[in-house]
Amino acid sequence: MAVTPGTETPPPPYLGRSVRVVGPVANVDMNETPHPRNSRGELGKAMFNWYRNTISRDPLTRVSAPNHFADQRNFLASVVNQAPKGKVNSRQVAVSDPAAMTRHIKAVARHMGADVVTVARAHPSFLYAATAPPKDSAARDVYQNRSGDVYQGRTPEQMTQRYPYIVVATTAWDYDKLQAHRHYIGDAAYHVSQMKAQMILKALEGYIKELGYAALRGMSNPQAAGLASGVGELGRNGLLIHRKFGARIHMPDPIMTDLPLVPDQPVDNGVEDFCKVCRKCAINCPTNSVPFGDKVVFNGVEKYKINWLTCYKIRPYMDAHWGSCLTCATVCPFTKPNIWWRSLTVWALSTCPIPARPVLVRALKAIDDRFWGATKQTRVRWLGYDSGIKPGEQACTVAGCTAAHGTAHATDPVGNLGYYAPLKENTNRFVKRDV
Amino acid sequence: MSLRSGWLKSPWRRTAGRSHDPYWDFFINTPPADRANSVLDVIRKAPEGNVFPTKADLHTPEITANHVKEMARYLGADLVGIAKLDADDAGHPFAIICAVRADNDPREAPGIGGQVPVQNGLFVTFVLSAWIRELGYRASMAASLDAARLAVAAKLGSLDRTGKLVTTEYGTRVHVADVIRTDLPLVPA
Repeated sequence: MAVTPGTETPPPPYLGRSVRVVGPVANVDMNETPHPRNSRGELGKAMFNWYRNTISRDPLTRVSAPNHFADQRNFLASVVNQAPKGKVNSRQVAVSDPAAMTRHIKAVARHMGADVVTVARAHPSFLYAATAPPKDSAARDVYQNRSGDVYQGRTPEQMTQRYPYIVVATTAWDYDKLQAHRHYIGDAAYHVSQMKAQMILKALEGYIKELGYAALRGMSNPQAAGLASGVGELGRNGLLIHRKFGARIHMPDPIMTDLPLVPDQPVDNGVEDFCKVCRKCAINCPTNSVPFGDKVVFNGVEKYKINWLTCYKIRPYMDAHWGSCLTCATVCPFTKPNIWWRSLTVWALSTCPIPARPVLVRALKAIDDRFWGATKQTRVRWLGYDSGIKPGEQACTVAGCTAAHGTAHATDPVGNLGYYAPLKENTNRFVKRDV
Repeated sequence: MSLRSGWLKSPWRRTAGRSHDPYWDFFINTPPADRANSVLDVIRKAPEGNVFPTKADLHTPEITANHVKEMARYLGADLVGIAKLDADDAGHPFAIICAVRADNDPREAPGIGGQVPVQNGLFVTFVLSAWIRELGYRASMAASLDAARLAVAAKLGSLDRTGKLVTTEYGTRVHVADVIRTDLPLVPA
């Protein structure tokens, strides 16, 4: 131990089979990620206006989506995340057995309603760069939780030594409502569970401080911490794919802490082998943003890299129809209801020897295409919403409604197909596939 | 017992692990040293948002009542009911009462864990009342109203002799969240 603590660089982290760290990783500046860049107007006028100056037509979107509210006070996540941070309790609870404390923190998160909770060992490459969040509250993303200068002049290496663990807790969203992807129903499933996750993480952060330990937010890239702690593997669609929930889990800002814990290990659910073959998300992506080709090395990390700009830039144009696309999460064969036959399938895939997996994956892919369809156009009805009605049409398909309101009553709702705009052939004209 | 086989342990005892958890009592019973570490005050003291200027296109009151109940259940309420308010100072005709299952009674367990039912209840009532305001109708969370009495009026259960709500589904292990007063056209109970 001749080197002074905090100056040596630890070996690259093992993140499972789906992602490999191959070179030096530069810490990502949080203010250079898509949403903050857009809120500064760097992605063009249409994007800026959509992000900062649009009010959604849908009442539920106005209370649950991170922008497009009519009044920010009606949006719970902004209330929770912009609240002042609590102080660390000066009477620290002694932790004699980190394993017991790990079980406790997981039980606490589940008691508060989290669906997934894991602990990652922190690595300097997971951290965001030591820049302060923007002072202007309008330019600040609601989900940016960092307060002031949390680094206090330390390097990322020193931060991970002082705060060696990252608690990743998150929620999954509803399978049935997600079937109406590219529709307000899917948005509702996505945004409401995200609000819930924000509240749970805020409460968990407060509880760790009450135990007498630090709980830092806005420090770690959630995907990296999720991979290192075995939340899932990174799929072709750039989403973490969980063993039970598939791609329908949120990745909110995790908690970095010095509470003594036992970290979890990366998992192997067969996602790596599946994504080599499947390409369902790439075929269905309305903007051709998901790659058909192989992994690329970006910032020292070998992974499938989506084109975030084309994924992002379609949103202002679809504002009247939906807020969050979710198509790549919906069509993913791992996104299934959490019941025994899917547990059995994932178990079979993950216990299969790796050389034999491509055969099994091809069989599973064929089954998935046969029974769940190569694309998803399920018609979903929820509250007054109906994904079978085209956005231009006004129709009330609620059974038994006799109210004389502005919309016409559709006497026979036609078919079980949902309407999904824009159709893929429409976008093929202006965004080319990469292969 | 020393019998610790996972296969033979009764699978329905979900809380079995908590008796072995040395920190669980702290979680449930120790009140937070700094109130800012709990989200309850943050949500309770948040100013109420505006009512959206355009009223949404509603269905009949029966259907709207069903939609409100369905939304409350989706947000995590275990029981929902609607009661008529007779003498409300702000002239709201209806009260929406949401109840969540409570493993610990929040009145006896001041810890962050003991207050989790309150936290879940606030999540439901905050988002539900904000949604009604965005539909273009008034809705406010009223902590001052007697929630248990209104829950009886909304046919969620009955009161026992200590004034606690007893329900068919969960017995007394239930927390009645803050009442939402609204002028959204609904049908009671």
